[in-house]
Amino acid sequence: MKSAWTIGKREFLSFFITPSGYVILGLIALLTGTAFVLSFLTYVQISQSPFQFGYSSVPDFEETFLSPYFVFCGIMIMFLSPIITMRLLSEEYHRGTMELLLTYPLRDRDIIFGKFGSALIILLLAIILIALNVCLLLPFSDVEWSVLLFGLCSVFLMGMAVLSVGLFISSLITYPITAGLVSFGIYLLMFIVGNVAEKLPASAPLPGTFPIILKGMIERLYILFRSLLLELPLDNHAKNMALGILEPKDIAYYLLCTAFFIFLTFRSLESRNWRK
Amino acid sequence: MIEVQKLTKYYGLFCALKEVSFSIQKGERVGLLGPNGAGKSTMMRILTGFMPASYGTTKIGHYEIHEYPLEAKRLIGYLPERVPLYDEMTVKSFLKFVAQVKGVPRSELKSSVDEVVHTCGLEQVFYRIIGVLSKGYRQRLGLAQALIGSPPVVILDEPTVGLDPQQVVEIRELIKNLGGKHTVLLSTHILSEVSLLCSRALILNKGEIVAEITIDPSRPSAEIEQAFLKAISKEGLD
Ligand SMILES: Nc1ncnc2c1ncn2[C@@H]1O[C@H](COP(=O)(O)OP(=O)(O)OP(=O)(O)O)[C@@H](O)[C@H]1O
Ligand SMILES: [Mg+2]
Repeated sequence: MKSAWTIGKREFLSFFITPSGYVILGLIALLTGTAFVLSFLTYVQISQSPFQFGYSSVPDFEETFLSPYFVFCGIMIMFLSPIITMRLLSEEYHRGTMELLLTYPLRDRDIIFGKFGSALIILLLAIILIALNVCLLLPFSDVEWSVLLFGLCSVFLMGMAVLSVGLFISSLITYPITAGLVSFGIYLLMFIVGNVAEKLPASAPLPGTFPIILKGMIERLYILFRSLLLELPLDNHAKNMALGILEPKDIAYYLLCTAFFIFLTFRSLESRNWRK
Repeated sequence: MIEVQKLTKYYGLFCALKEVSFSIQKGERVGLLGPNGAGKSTMMRILTGFMPASYGTTKIGHYEIHEYPLEAKRLIGYLPERVPLYDEMTVKSFLKFVAQVKGVPRSELKSSVDEVVHTCGLEQVFYRIIGVLSKGYRQRLGLAQALIGSPPVVILDEPTVGLDPQQVVEIRELIKNLGGKHTVLLSTHILSEVSLLCSRALILNKGEIVAEITIDPSRPSAEIEQAFLKAISKEGLD
Protein backbone atom coordinates (compact mmCIF):
# COMPACT_ATOMS: atom_id res chain seq x y z
CA MET A 1 0.00 0.00 0.00
CA LYS A 2 3.04 2.26 0.40
CA SER A 3 3.52 2.16 -3.37
CA ALA A 4 -0.13 3.08 -3.90
CA TRP A 5 0.47 6.11 -1.71
CA THR A 6 3.54 7.06 -3.78
CA ILE A 7 1.63 6.69 -7.06
CA GLY A 8 -1.32 8.63 -5.70
CA LYS A 9 0.85 11.43 -4.40
CA ARG A 10 2.61 11.83 -7.74
CA GLU A 11 -0.70 11.88 -9.56
CA PHE A 12 -2.15 14.42 -7.17
CA LEU A 13 0.85 16.75 -7.37
CA SER A 14 0.89 16.48 -11.18
CA PHE A 15 -2.68 17.70 -11.12
CA PHE A 16 -1.60 20.93 -9.59
CA ILE A 17 1.56 21.33 -11.66
CA THR A 18 -0.57 21.22 -14.79
CA PRO A 19 -3.62 23.50 -14.97
CA SER A 20 -6.24 20.73 -14.83
CA GLY A 21 -6.47 20.68 -11.04
CA TYR A 22 -7.06 24.42 -10.88
CA VAL A 23 -9.47 24.27 -13.81
CA ILE A 24 -11.74 21.68 -12.24
CA LEU A 25 -11.70 23.17 -8.74
CA GLY A 26 -12.16 26.67 -10.16
CA LEU A 27 -15.10 25.59 -12.29
CA ILE A 28 -16.70 23.79 -9.38
CA ALA A 29 -16.25 26.79 -7.10
CA LEU A 30 -17.66 29.12 -9.75
CA LEU A 31 -20.65 27.01 -10.78
CA THR A 32 -21.69 25.82 -7.34
CA GLY A 33 -21.16 29.28 -5.86
CA THR A 34 -23.27 30.98 -8.52
CA ALA A 35 -25.96 28.34 -8.24
CA PHE A 36 -25.96 28.76 -4.47
CA VAL A 37 -26.48 32.51 -4.62
CA LEU A 38 -29.10 32.39 -7.35
CA SER A 39 -31.18 29.61 -5.87
CA PHE A 40 -30.93 31.12 -2.41
CA LEU A 41 -32.21 34.46 -3.70
CA THR A 42 -35.05 32.67 -5.46
CA TYR A 43 -35.95 30.88 -2.22
CA VAL A 44 -35.92 34.19 -0.36
CA GLN A 45 -38.31 35.68 -2.93
CA ILE A 46 -40.59 32.67 -2.71
CA SER A 47 -40.70 32.71 1.08
CA GLN A 48 -41.49 36.42 1.16
CA SER A 49 -44.56 36.02 -1.02
CA PRO A 50 -45.35 32.30 -1.34
CA PHE A 51 -48.81 32.88 -2.84
CA GLN A 52 -47.40 34.57 -5.91
CA PHE A 53 -45.35 31.47 -6.67
CA GLY A 54 -48.23 29.10 -6.14
CA TYR A 55 -47.32 27.88 -2.65
CA SER A 56 -49.93 27.96 0.10
CA SER A 57 -47.37 28.64 2.81
CA VAL A 58 -43.62 29.21 3.10
CA PRO A 59 -42.14 26.12 1.42
CA ASP A 60 -39.85 23.77 3.29
CA PHE A 61 -36.28 25.07 3.19
CA GLU A 62 -34.60 21.72 2.91
CA GLU A 63 -36.96 20.36 0.30
CA THR A 64 -37.10 23.35 -2.02
CA PHE A 65 -33.62 24.73 -1.64
CA LEU A 66 -31.04 22.56 0.06
CA SER A 67 -31.69 19.18 -1.44
CA PRO A 68 -31.99 20.34 -5.07
CA TYR A 69 -28.81 22.30 -4.52
CA PHE A 70 -26.91 19.21 -3.41
CA VAL A 71 -28.25 17.26 -6.37
CA PHE A 72 -27.13 20.08 -8.65
CA CYS A 73 -23.64 19.96 -7.13
CA GLY A 74 -23.48 16.21 -7.66
CA ILE A 75 -24.47 16.62 -11.30
CA MET A 76 -21.85 19.36 -11.79
CA ILE A 77 -19.21 17.05 -10.39
CA MET A 78 -20.45 14.28 -12.65
CA PHE A 79 -20.07 16.39 -15.76
CA LEU A 80 -16.72 17.87 -14.77
CA SER A 81 -15.20 14.61 -13.55
CA PRO A 82 -13.91 13.55 -17.00
CA ILE A 83 -11.28 16.28 -16.55
CA ILE A 84 -9.99 14.23 -13.62
CA THR A 85 -10.50 10.71 -14.87
CA MET A 86 -9.37 11.12 -18.46
CA ARG A 87 -5.83 11.59 -17.21
CA LEU A 88 -5.67 8.75 -14.77
CA LEU A 89 -4.72 5.79 -16.94
CA SER A 90 -5.19 6.98 -20.54
CA GLU A 91 -2.47 9.56 -20.13
CA GLU A 92 -0.02 6.95 -18.90
CA TYR A 93 -0.73 4.85 -21.98
CA HIS A 94 -0.61 7.84 -24.28
CA ARG A 95 2.73 9.12 -23.02
CA GLY A 96 4.19 5.64 -22.80
CA THR A 97 4.89 6.00 -19.09
CA MET A 98 2.78 2.89 -18.56
CA GLU A 99 5.87 1.05 -19.77
CA LEU A 100 7.69 2.43 -16.73
CA LEU A 101 4.89 1.73 -14.25
CA LEU A 102 4.36 -1.80 -15.49
CA THR A 103 8.05 -2.67 -15.28
CA TYR A 104 8.52 -1.22 -11.80
CA PRO A 105 7.86 -3.63 -8.96
CA LEU A 106 4.22 -2.59 -8.57
CA ARG A 107 1.03 -4.55 -8.19
CA ASP A 108 -1.99 -3.64 -10.25
CA ARG A 109 -3.73 -2.65 -7.06
CA ASP A 110 -1.00 -0.12 -6.24
CA ILE A 111 -1.60 1.58 -9.57
CA ILE A 112 -5.40 1.45 -9.42
CA PHE A 113 -5.84 2.43 -5.78
CA GLY A 114 -3.17 5.10 -6.08
CA LYS A 115 -4.87 6.65 -9.08
CA PHE A 116 -8.37 6.32 -7.65
CA GLY A 117 -7.19 7.67 -4.31
CA SER A 118 -5.77 10.80 -5.88
CA ALA A 119 -9.04 11.34 -7.74
CA LEU A 120 -10.94 10.94 -4.46
CA ILE A 121 -8.78 13.57 -2.77
CA ILE A 122 -9.63 16.03 -5.54
CA LEU A 123 -13.29 15.13 -5.07
CA LEU A 124 -12.87 15.82 -1.37
CA LEU A 125 -11.44 19.25 -2.16
CA ALA A 126 -14.46 19.93 -4.37
CA ILE A 127 -16.76 18.86 -1.53
CA ILE A 128 -14.96 21.24 0.80
CA LEU A 129 -15.63 24.07 -1.66
CA ILE A 130 -19.31 23.15 -1.69
CA ALA A 131 -19.31 22.89 2.09
CA LEU A 132 -17.98 26.45 2.29
CA ASN A 133 -21.08 27.60 0.41
CA VAL A 134 -23.61 25.82 2.55
CA CYS A 135 -21.85 26.66 5.80
CA LEU A 136 -22.81 30.27 5.09
CA LEU A 137 -26.34 29.20 5.99
CA LEU A 138 -25.54 28.04 9.49
CA PRO A 139 -25.67 31.40 11.29
CA PHE A 140 -28.89 32.45 9.51
CA SER A 141 -31.08 29.40 9.61
CA ASP A 142 -31.95 26.54 11.88
CA VAL A 143 -30.59 23.93 9.48
CA GLU A 144 -28.90 21.22 11.42
CA TRP A 145 -25.28 20.18 10.99
CA SER A 146 -26.32 16.63 10.35
CA VAL A 147 -28.53 17.59 7.41
CA LEU A 148 -25.71 19.48 5.76
CA LEU A 149 -23.25 16.69 6.45
CA PHE A 150 -25.60 14.13 5.03
CA GLY A 151 -26.14 16.16 1.89
CA LEU A 152 -22.40 16.54 1.40
CA CYS A 153 -21.96 12.81 1.96
CA SER A 154 -24.46 12.06 -0.76
CA VAL A 155 -22.57 14.31 -3.16
CA PHE A 156 -19.35 12.54 -2.22
CA LEU A 157 -20.83 9.07 -2.70
CA MET A 158 -22.19 10.03 -6.07
CA GLY A 159 -18.86 11.57 -7.06
CA MET A 160 -17.04 8.42 -6.01
CA ALA A 161 -19.24 6.24 -8.20
CA VAL A 162 -18.79 8.61 -11.12
CA LEU A 163 -15.00 8.59 -10.69
CA SER A 164 -14.92 4.80 -10.70
CA VAL A 165 -16.81 4.75 -14.00
CA GLY A 166 -14.36 7.30 -15.40
CA LEU A 167 -11.37 5.30 -14.15
CA PHE A 168 -12.64 2.21 -15.92
CA ILE A 169 -13.18 4.06 -19.18
CA SER A 170 -9.74 5.59 -18.82
CA SER A 171 -8.25 2.11 -18.55
CA LEU A 172 -9.89 1.09 -21.84
CA ILE A 173 -9.04 4.05 -24.02
CA THR A 174 -5.44 5.04 -24.62
CA TYR A 175 -6.15 8.56 -25.81
CA PRO A 176 -7.05 10.94 -22.96
CA ILE A 177 -9.37 13.29 -24.87
CA THR A 178 -11.34 10.36 -26.26
CA ALA A 179 -11.59 8.81 -22.80
CA GLY A 180 -12.88 12.12 -21.44
CA LEU A 181 -15.44 12.54 -24.20
CA VAL A 182 -16.70 8.97 -23.90
CA SER A 183 -17.19 9.35 -20.13
CA PHE A 184 -18.93 12.66 -20.67
CA GLY A 185 -21.21 11.09 -23.27
CA ILE A 186 -22.12 8.24 -20.94
CA TYR A 187 -22.97 10.62 -18.08
CA LEU A 188 -25.05 12.76 -20.41
CA LEU A 189 -26.93 9.74 -21.68
CA MET A 190 -27.63 8.55 -18.13
CA PHE A 191 -28.76 12.00 -17.11
CA ILE A 192 -31.19 12.27 -20.01
CA VAL A 193 -32.47 8.73 -19.59
CA GLY A 194 -33.02 9.31 -15.88
CA ASN A 195 -35.01 12.45 -16.55
CA VAL A 196 -37.11 10.85 -19.25
CA ALA A 197 -37.77 7.78 -17.11
CA GLU A 198 -39.36 9.92 -14.41
CA LYS A 199 -41.93 11.11 -16.91
CA LEU A 200 -42.89 7.62 -18.04
CA PRO A 201 -46.32 6.54 -16.76
CA ALA A 202 -46.27 4.02 -13.94
CA SER A 203 -47.94 1.34 -16.03
CA ALA A 204 -47.65 0.49 -19.70
CA PRO A 205 -49.87 2.73 -21.85
CA LEU A 206 -51.70 -0.06 -23.67
CA PRO A 207 -55.05 0.28 -25.45
CA GLY A 208 -57.96 -1.29 -23.59
CA THR A 209 -58.65 -3.78 -26.39
CA PHE A 210 -55.22 -5.38 -25.99
CA PRO A 211 -55.26 -9.19 -25.58
CA ILE A 212 -55.24 -10.04 -21.89
CA ILE A 213 -52.54 -12.71 -22.10
CA LEU A 214 -50.02 -10.42 -23.75
CA LYS A 215 -51.02 -7.55 -21.54
CA GLY A 216 -49.73 -9.18 -18.35
CA MET A 217 -46.40 -10.00 -19.93
CA ILE A 218 -45.86 -6.61 -21.47
CA GLU A 219 -46.91 -4.96 -18.23
CA ARG A 220 -44.20 -6.84 -16.32
CA LEU A 221 -41.52 -6.09 -18.91
CA TYR A 222 -42.50 -2.47 -18.92
CA ILE A 223 -42.25 -2.19 -15.15
CA LEU A 224 -38.86 -3.84 -15.18
CA PHE A 225 -37.67 -1.53 -17.96
CA ARG A 226 -38.98 1.55 -16.24
CA SER A 227 -37.46 0.74 -12.88
CA LEU A 228 -34.13 -0.04 -14.54
CA LEU A 229 -34.17 3.36 -16.19
CA LEU A 230 -35.10 4.93 -12.89
CA GLU A 231 -32.54 3.13 -10.78
CA LEU A 232 -29.50 3.00 -13.06
CA PRO A 233 -28.70 6.69 -13.58
CA LEU A 234 -26.08 7.83 -11.12
CA ASP A 235 -27.80 10.99 -10.01
CA ASN A 236 -31.23 9.56 -9.18
CA HIS A 237 -30.19 8.00 -5.89
CA ALA A 238 -28.63 11.22 -4.71
CA LYS A 239 -32.05 12.90 -4.86
CA ASN A 240 -33.41 10.86 -1.98
CA MET A 241 -30.26 11.08 0.03
CA ALA A 242 -29.97 14.82 -0.34
CA LEU A 243 -33.44 15.12 1.15
CA GLY A 244 -32.05 13.55 4.26
CA ILE A 245 -33.88 10.30 3.69
CA LEU A 246 -31.44 7.65 4.76
CA GLU A 247 -32.08 4.57 2.71
CA PRO A 248 -29.52 1.78 2.82
CA LYS A 249 -30.34 0.93 -0.78
CA ASP A 250 -29.11 4.31 -2.02
CA ILE A 251 -25.83 4.07 -0.14
CA ALA A 252 -25.42 0.46 -1.20
CA TYR A 253 -26.08 1.45 -4.79
CA TYR A 254 -23.14 3.85 -4.85
CA LEU A 255 -20.80 1.58 -2.95
CA LEU A 256 -21.64 -1.38 -5.18
CA CYS A 257 -21.32 0.72 -8.30
CA THR A 258 -17.86 1.88 -7.20
CA ALA A 259 -16.75 -1.63 -6.31
CA PHE A 260 -18.04 -2.98 -9.60
CA PHE A 261 -16.18 -0.48 -11.76
CA ILE A 262 -12.98 -0.79 -9.73
CA PHE A 263 -13.28 -4.54 -10.27
CA LEU A 264 -13.68 -3.98 -14.02
CA THR A 265 -10.64 -1.71 -14.00
CA PHE A 266 -8.63 -4.51 -12.39
CA ARG A 267 -9.76 -6.92 -15.09
CA SER A 268 -8.98 -4.38 -17.78
CA LEU A 269 -5.45 -3.79 -16.49
CA GLU A 270 -4.95 -7.51 -16.02
CA SER A 271 -6.00 -8.28 -19.56
CA ARG A 272 -2.58 -7.23 -20.82
CA ASN A 273 -1.21 -10.40 -19.23
CA TRP A 274 -3.57 -12.69 -21.04
CA ARG A 275 -1.38 -14.56 -23.44
CA LYS A 276 -2.32 -13.96 -27.01
CA MET B 1 20.62 -14.54 -14.32
CA ILE B 2 18.44 -14.26 -17.42
CA GLU B 3 17.14 -17.44 -18.93
CA VAL B 4 14.90 -17.43 -21.96
CA GLN B 5 13.36 -20.58 -23.38
CA LYS B 6 11.50 -20.90 -26.64
CA LEU B 7 10.14 -17.41 -26.43
CA THR B 8 7.56 -16.75 -29.12
CA LYS B 9 5.61 -13.56 -29.63
CA TYR B 10 2.78 -12.98 -32.04
CA TYR B 11 1.35 -9.56 -32.78
CA GLY B 12 -1.92 -10.76 -34.24
CA LEU B 13 -0.76 -13.04 -37.05
CA PHE B 14 2.66 -11.44 -37.32
CA CYS B 15 5.35 -13.44 -35.56
CA ALA B 16 7.83 -11.01 -33.98
CA LEU B 17 9.85 -13.63 -32.06
CA LYS B 18 10.24 -17.28 -33.03
CA GLU B 19 11.25 -19.72 -30.32
CA VAL B 20 14.16 -17.65 -29.06
CA SER B 21 16.30 -19.30 -26.39
CA PHE B 22 19.40 -18.01 -24.66
CA SER B 23 20.79 -17.53 -21.22
CA ILE B 24 22.95 -14.87 -19.65
CA GLN B 25 25.13 -15.54 -16.67
CA LYS B 26 25.47 -13.30 -13.67
CA GLY B 27 27.82 -10.38 -14.28
CA GLU B 28 27.86 -10.79 -18.07
CA ARG B 29 27.38 -7.89 -20.46
CA VAL B 30 25.52 -8.98 -23.54
CA GLY B 31 24.68 -6.98 -26.63
CA LEU B 32 21.56 -7.59 -28.67
CA LEU B 33 22.12 -6.72 -32.32
CA GLY B 34 19.86 -6.77 -35.29
CA PRO B 35 18.41 -4.73 -38.13
CA ASN B 36 15.33 -2.53 -37.62
CA GLY B 37 12.26 -4.56 -36.82
CA ALA B 38 14.24 -7.61 -35.79
CA GLY B 39 12.38 -7.85 -32.52
CA LYS B 40 14.94 -6.46 -30.07
CA SER B 41 12.58 -4.09 -28.32
CA THR B 42 9.86 -6.74 -28.30
CA MET B 43 12.26 -9.11 -26.58
CA MET B 44 13.17 -6.53 -23.95
CA ARG B 45 9.55 -5.66 -23.29
CA ILE B 46 8.84 -9.30 -22.60
CA LEU B 47 11.91 -9.73 -20.41
CA THR B 48 10.89 -6.76 -18.28
CA GLY B 49 7.32 -7.97 -17.86
CA PHE B 50 5.72 -5.13 -19.80
CA MET B 51 3.96 -7.55 -22.13
CA PRO B 52 3.44 -11.30 -22.04
CA ALA B 53 5.00 -13.68 -24.51
CA SER B 54 2.70 -15.88 -26.58
CA TYR B 55 4.67 -18.97 -25.59
CA GLY B 56 7.84 -19.74 -23.74
CA THR B 57 9.36 -18.88 -20.40
CA THR B 58 11.58 -16.09 -19.16
CA LYS B 59 13.42 -16.38 -15.89
CA ILE B 60 15.02 -13.43 -14.18
CA GLY B 61 17.11 -14.70 -11.31
CA HIS B 62 15.00 -17.53 -9.92
CA TYR B 63 11.72 -15.98 -10.89
CA GLU B 64 9.57 -16.59 -13.94
CA ILE B 65 8.48 -13.11 -14.98
CA HIS B 66 4.90 -14.11 -15.72
CA GLU B 67 4.41 -16.12 -12.53
CA TYR B 68 6.32 -13.97 -10.04
CA PRO B 69 6.20 -10.56 -11.68
CA LEU B 70 6.80 -8.57 -8.51
CA GLU B 71 9.88 -10.48 -7.40
CA ALA B 72 11.34 -10.54 -10.91
CA LYS B 73 10.72 -6.84 -11.50
CA ARG B 74 12.53 -5.97 -8.28
CA LEU B 75 15.68 -7.30 -9.94
CA ILE B 76 15.35 -5.26 -13.12
CA GLY B 77 16.30 -1.76 -14.17
CA TYR B 78 14.90 -0.95 -17.61
CA LEU B 79 15.46 1.85 -20.07
CA PRO B 80 12.65 1.74 -22.66
CA GLU B 81 13.46 2.62 -26.25
CA ARG B 82 11.30 5.75 -26.45
CA VAL B 83 12.31 6.95 -22.96
CA PRO B 84 8.86 7.82 -21.63
CA LEU B 85 9.03 10.29 -18.74
CA TYR B 86 6.62 12.44 -16.74
CA ASP B 87 7.17 15.74 -18.53
CA GLU B 88 5.58 17.97 -15.91
CA MET B 89 7.78 16.80 -13.05
CA THR B 90 11.24 18.03 -12.15
CA VAL B 91 14.22 15.72 -12.46
CA LYS B 92 14.53 15.75 -8.71
CA SER B 93 10.96 14.81 -7.90
CA PHE B 94 10.87 12.19 -10.66
CA LEU B 95 13.97 10.40 -9.41
CA LYS B 96 12.66 10.51 -5.86
CA PHE B 97 9.38 9.04 -7.08
CA VAL B 98 11.15 6.21 -8.92
CA ALA B 99 13.31 5.43 -5.91
CA GLN B 100 10.22 5.22 -3.69
CA VAL B 101 8.33 3.04 -6.15
CA LYS B 102 11.30 0.71 -6.39
CA GLY B 103 11.21 0.35 -2.63
CA VAL B 104 14.45 2.14 -1.74
CA PRO B 105 14.27 2.65 2.04
CA ARG B 106 13.59 6.18 3.20
CA SER B 107 16.99 6.60 4.82
CA GLU B 108 18.82 5.76 1.59
CA LEU B 109 16.54 7.78 -0.66
CA LYS B 110 18.72 10.85 -0.93
CA SER B 111 21.98 9.01 -1.31
CA SER B 112 20.65 6.72 -4.04
CA VAL B 113 19.23 9.69 -5.97
CA ASP B 114 22.51 11.57 -5.59
CA GLU B 115 24.42 8.56 -6.78
CA VAL B 116 22.57 8.15 -10.09
CA VAL B 117 22.53 11.91 -10.62
CA HIS B 118 26.29 11.85 -10.32
CA THR B 119 26.88 8.79 -12.48
CA CYS B 120 24.56 10.01 -15.24
CA GLY B 121 25.80 13.60 -15.13
CA LEU B 122 22.44 15.17 -14.28
CA GLU B 123 23.66 17.74 -11.71
CA GLN B 124 23.14 20.66 -14.09
CA VAL B 125 19.47 19.90 -14.72
CA PHE B 126 18.56 18.53 -11.30
CA TYR B 127 15.93 21.19 -10.62
CA ARG B 128 14.66 21.52 -14.21
CA ILE B 129 11.31 20.37 -15.52
CA ILE B 130 11.66 17.20 -17.56
CA GLY B 131 9.59 18.58 -20.44
CA VAL B 132 12.25 21.16 -21.30
CA LEU B 133 15.25 18.82 -21.22
CA SER B 134 17.24 18.21 -24.39
CA LYS B 135 17.17 14.77 -26.01
CA GLY B 136 20.52 13.81 -24.51
CA TYR B 137 19.49 14.75 -21.01
CA ARG B 138 16.22 12.85 -21.38
CA GLN B 139 18.25 9.83 -22.37
CA ARG B 140 20.49 10.27 -19.33
CA LEU B 141 17.49 10.63 -17.07
CA GLY B 142 16.04 7.45 -18.56
CA LEU B 143 19.28 5.74 -17.75
CA ALA B 144 19.26 7.20 -14.25
CA GLN B 145 15.76 5.87 -13.51
CA ALA B 146 16.87 2.43 -14.70
CA LEU B 147 19.97 2.42 -12.50
CA ILE B 148 18.41 3.85 -9.35
CA GLY B 149 18.28 1.37 -6.51
CA SER B 150 21.14 -0.51 -8.17
CA PRO B 151 19.18 -3.46 -9.63
CA PRO B 152 21.19 -6.62 -10.37
CA VAL B 153 19.84 -6.91 -13.92
CA VAL B 154 19.99 -3.88 -16.20
CA ILE B 155 18.18 -3.93 -19.54
CA LEU B 156 18.89 -0.99 -21.82
CA ASP B 157 17.20 -0.41 -25.18
CA GLU B 158 19.59 1.68 -27.27
CA PRO B 159 21.17 3.53 -24.33
CA THR B 160 23.55 5.81 -26.24
CA VAL B 161 21.12 7.22 -28.81
CA GLY B 162 21.12 11.01 -28.88
CA LEU B 163 24.05 11.59 -26.56
CA ASP B 164 26.91 13.93 -27.37
CA PRO B 165 30.28 12.28 -28.14
CA GLN B 166 31.73 12.99 -24.74
CA GLN B 167 28.64 11.66 -23.00
CA VAL B 168 28.70 8.55 -25.19
CA VAL B 169 32.21 7.85 -23.89
CA GLU B 170 31.10 8.50 -20.30
CA ILE B 171 27.97 6.36 -20.51
CA ARG B 172 29.91 3.54 -22.15
CA GLU B 173 32.41 3.74 -19.32
CA LEU B 174 29.48 3.63 -16.89
CA ILE B 175 27.95 0.57 -18.54
CA LYS B 176 31.34 -1.11 -18.59
CA ASN B 177 31.64 -0.56 -14.88
CA LEU B 178 28.22 -2.04 -14.33
CA GLY B 179 29.53 -5.44 -15.40
CA GLY B 180 30.65 -7.78 -12.66
CA LYS B 181 28.11 -6.60 -10.11
CA HIS B 182 25.27 -6.18 -12.58
CA THR B 183 24.09 -8.30 -15.44
CA VAL B 184 23.62 -6.10 -18.49
CA LEU B 185 21.59 -6.68 -21.64
CA LEU B 186 21.68 -3.83 -24.13
CA SER B 187 20.54 -3.35 -27.68
CA THR B 188 22.27 -1.07 -30.12
CA HIS B 189 22.88 -0.39 -33.79
CA ILE B 190 26.48 0.64 -33.24
CA LEU B 191 28.55 -2.47 -33.79
CA SER B 192 31.73 -1.06 -32.36
CA GLU B 193 29.84 -0.30 -29.16
CA VAL B 194 29.11 -3.96 -28.67
CA SER B 195 32.73 -4.96 -29.11
CA LEU B 196 33.70 -2.25 -26.64
CA LEU B 197 31.13 -2.99 -23.98
CA CYS B 198 30.05 -6.57 -24.20
CA SER B 199 31.55 -9.94 -23.67
CA ARG B 200 29.01 -11.55 -25.95
CA ALA B 201 26.66 -10.52 -28.74
CA LEU B 202 23.39 -12.08 -29.83
CA ILE B 203 22.33 -11.30 -33.35
CA LEU B 204 18.61 -11.25 -33.92
CA ASN B 205 17.06 -11.21 -37.36
CA LYS B 206 13.37 -11.46 -38.16
CA GLY B 207 12.63 -12.79 -34.69
CA GLU B 208 15.28 -15.48 -34.63
CA ILE B 209 18.75 -15.62 -33.12
CA VAL B 210 20.94 -16.16 -36.16
CA ALA B 211 24.34 -15.93 -34.50
CA GLU B 212 25.99 -15.74 -31.13
CA ILE B 213 29.45 -14.20 -30.99
CA THR B 214 31.83 -14.27 -28.08
CA ILE B 215 33.94 -11.16 -28.20
CA ASP B 216 37.62 -11.48 -27.64
CA PRO B 217 38.79 -8.15 -26.23
CA SER B 218 42.22 -8.48 -27.87
CA ARG B 219 40.81 -8.93 -31.39
CA PRO B 220 39.96 -6.00 -33.66
CA SER B 221 36.35 -4.88 -33.71
CA ALA B 222 36.03 -5.31 -37.49
CA GLU B 223 35.34 -8.95 -36.82
CA ILE B 224 31.93 -8.35 -35.36
CA GLU B 225 30.90 -6.29 -38.36
CA GLN B 226 31.72 -9.19 -40.65
CA ALA B 227 29.93 -11.64 -38.42
CA PHE B 228 26.88 -9.41 -38.26
CA LEU B 229 26.63 -8.92 -42.02
CA LYS B 230 27.26 -12.59 -42.65
CA ALA B 231 24.60 -13.68 -40.19
CA ILE B 232 22.04 -11.37 -41.66
CA SER B 233 22.77 -11.99 -45.33
CA LYS B 234 22.77 -15.73 -44.76
CA GLU B 235 19.27 -15.35 -43.50
CA GLY B 236 18.39 -13.33 -46.59
CA LEU B 237 19.57 -16.07 -48.97
CA ASP B 238 17.37 -18.79 -47.49
N1 LIG C 1 2.49 -3.30 -30.63
C1 LIG C 1 2.79 -3.85 -31.81
N2 LIG C 1 1.81 -4.30 -32.62
C2 LIG C 1 2.10 -4.87 -33.80
N3 LIG C 1 3.33 -5.04 -34.29
C3 LIG C 1 4.37 -4.60 -33.53
C4 LIG C 1 4.15 -3.99 -32.26
N4 LIG C 1 5.34 -3.67 -31.74
C5 LIG C 1 6.27 -4.05 -32.64
N5 LIG C 1 5.69 -4.62 -33.73
C6 LIG C 1 6.39 -5.20 -34.87
O1 LIG C 1 7.28 -6.19 -34.40
C7 LIG C 1 8.50 -6.13 -35.10
C8 LIG C 1 9.65 -6.00 -34.13
O2 LIG C 1 9.61 -4.73 -33.53
P1 LIG C 1 10.70 -4.23 -32.50
O3 LIG C 1 10.29 -2.90 -32.02
O4 LIG C 1 10.90 -5.29 -31.48
O5 LIG C 1 11.99 -4.11 -33.42
P2 LIG C 1 13.43 -3.62 -33.03
O6 LIG C 1 14.33 -4.76 -33.26
O7 LIG C 1 13.45 -3.02 -31.69
O8 LIG C 1 13.68 -2.51 -34.13
P3 LIG C 1 14.48 -1.13 -34.02
O9 LIG C 1 15.90 -1.45 -34.26
O10 LIG C 1 13.91 -0.32 -35.13
O11 LIG C 1 14.22 -0.55 -32.68
C9 LIG C 1 8.40 -4.96 -36.07
O12 LIG C 1 8.13 -5.48 -37.34
C10 LIG C 1 7.25 -4.17 -35.56
O13 LIG C 1 6.55 -3.57 -36.63
MG1 LIG D 1 13.82 -1.23 -30.91
